[in-house]
Amino acid sequence: MNSNRFLAILLVLGMGLAAVLTTSVPAETCLSPFVKRIERPERYLYVFCVDADAKDNDFLAVIDVDAASPKYGEILYQLDLGSKGNETHHFGFTDDRTHIWGCSLFSNRIFVIDVASDPARPKLVKAFDSAKDSGLTGPHSPYAIPGRMLISFLGGKDGGVPAGLAEFHNDGRLIRTLEMPKDAPYGYDVAIHPDLNRMITSSFTPPKNYRKPLAKMDLKQFGDKLLVWDFRSRKVLQTLTTAAAPLECRWSLKKDAKHGYCNCALADSIWIWEGDDGDKYTTRKLCDTGKLPVDLSQSPDGKYLFVSCFASDEVQQWDVSDLKNPKLISTVKPGVEPNMLHLTGDGKRMYTTNSLLSTMDRSDDFWVRLIRVGPEGMKMDPKFKVDLTKFKTGPARGHDMLLY
Amino acid sequence: MNRSLQRTVRWTPLGLSICALFGFMGAAWSDEARLAFIRTPTDFTLTSQDDNAFRLSSLRGKVVLVSFVFTTCNGSCPATTHRMDLAARALAKAGLSEKVHLLSISLDPARDTPAVLRDYMRLYDIETKRWTFVTGTQKEIDKVLADWGMWTRPAANGQLDHPSRVYLLDPRGRVREIYDLQYFRPTWVSEDARLLLNETEKR
Repeated sequence: MNSNRFLAILLVLGMGLAAVLTTSVPAETCLSPFVKRIERPERYLYVFCVDADAKDNDFLAVIDVDAASPKYGEILYQLDLGSKGNETHHFGFTDDRTHIWGCSLFSNRIFVIDVASDPARPKLVKAFDSAKDSGLTGPHSPYAIPGRMLISFLGGKDGGVPAGLAEFHNDGRLIRTLEMPKDAPYGYDVAIHPDLNRMITSSFTPPKNYRKPLAKMDLKQFGDKLLVWDFRSRKVLQTLTTAAAPLECRWSLKKDAKHGYCNCALADSIWIWEGDDGDKYTTRKLCDTGKLPVDLSQSPDGKYLFVSCFASDEVQQWDVSDLKNPKLISTVKPGVEPNMLHLTGDGKRMYTTNSLLSTMDRSDDFWVRLIRVGPEGMKMDPKFKVDLTKFKTGPARGHDMLLY
Repeated sequence: MNRSLQRTVRWTPLGLSICALFGFMGAAWSDEARLAFIRTPTDFTLTSQDDNAFRLSSLRGKVVLVSFVFTTCNGSCPATTHRMDLAARALAKAGLSEKVHLLSISLDPARDTPAVLRDYMRLYDIETKRWTFVTGTQKEIDKVLADWGMWTRPAANGQLDHPSRVYLLDPRGRVREIYDLQYFRPTWVSEDARLLLNETEKR
């Protein structure tokens, strides 16, 4: 080894160590592993809001979550999205954390929002009909991959199945579309494990069904499959069966883990997918949860899972250190129908909202609350209560959240 | 959720599990290529480490691996350059050195003069025949960054904040894959480069 190369390697090991460590530590655990991490406590919480009676425009609310700020816990700004009745739903950062992509389940619109230029006052850069180019409907999970956004769609061209995935360049141009296989045609979430080169997708129900009122939904039109993909080639390797409606997909963050978790909403349970030494995956039920588990989060060390149970009004914390013997160690009741959970990168604060879909909500009391996570388990923060019912336009259904 | 619905949904897994009896049909592709066409960057002319004009389109006919770094970076750039070096070795091992070129574009042209780039390349023992570093005026670099969806901004530690993407271009100058530090294995670069070269030979 010559001296220059030796010096260069030292440079990488020394100066570059911080960067390598930084890139190996994920951002918030529910985000794509490709999203840039924020190396400081959060200052702003963005909430994707549906105007509750669909008579006014949907919007993004900016909430002050800087603990040192005199306006802590207040709504600082509302970004008007310029249209109504979108059923704005899930959020996702681009890989460089400069823009949020927000998906709309009813209108198929995707909103591209610049949060880097002025994080306190985000700007709407673009709103486009994602169905027009992709031929898919019901855009659900915007998931960052390097330089691009991968979107899982819940439906095909006419709002039925097969659902699919579509990749867009960060500027909004379509790159390609993938349809789900005919025998597992439903779509919902997506999760990538870069080191394993594996991607998991899950199953819900298509727009034709979820647009109906809850009582009229056809429960036979819900999927019960997970697909294991070769991420680099975007090819399905395996079709796995779970219980009904496997929703959020989370790869375990434990070191060298080859497993992950999903919440089966219509079967009140968390399921696990596990890869063996031969890279074959199997599924099994991990534990029974409260009623209608609708979101799933994970502690940064992979030791705990947090699941919101929409129909039993609770959030549960499960210790999954021992996958053969998961333990329910903590439960909180944030209020009626808790839904989305967003855990901070340090695993200590978890924000929660309480709207699922305008067709499924059973309360008009919408809020954002904060769960503190510590050695004793979870505790509600009594000081943090953001009321989403007092806007000039009336109540708003807050769903997904992101931090900056 | 009302009780009757809850009772109903408990039976849903059984009904849906019938679907499992049917074999996997495979995902349908609207794009046959494994490495999809992502975009075509605009051609540019910058200044190489040898102080010569360097045009991106001069690399047409070769696969090109493009990184964006700056020489005084103590963040992700040393790791990016190290990964690029490992990729160069994997390409050499695969016999692809003649057909693949590496290109590193400076994010900090004010400090990264051609002479500074030459020193940086010497430090990393980089073979200039296969790997070019380029710089330019701030205006020229800004134009390239904007076209590639890249950016820089001052970081709190006095450094530059920036994305750490690495782009793979096919012999026609089109972006066909984007890697980052989490998603970058030298063997993957080598495999992807071979795929793009084979694709060109078939045309």
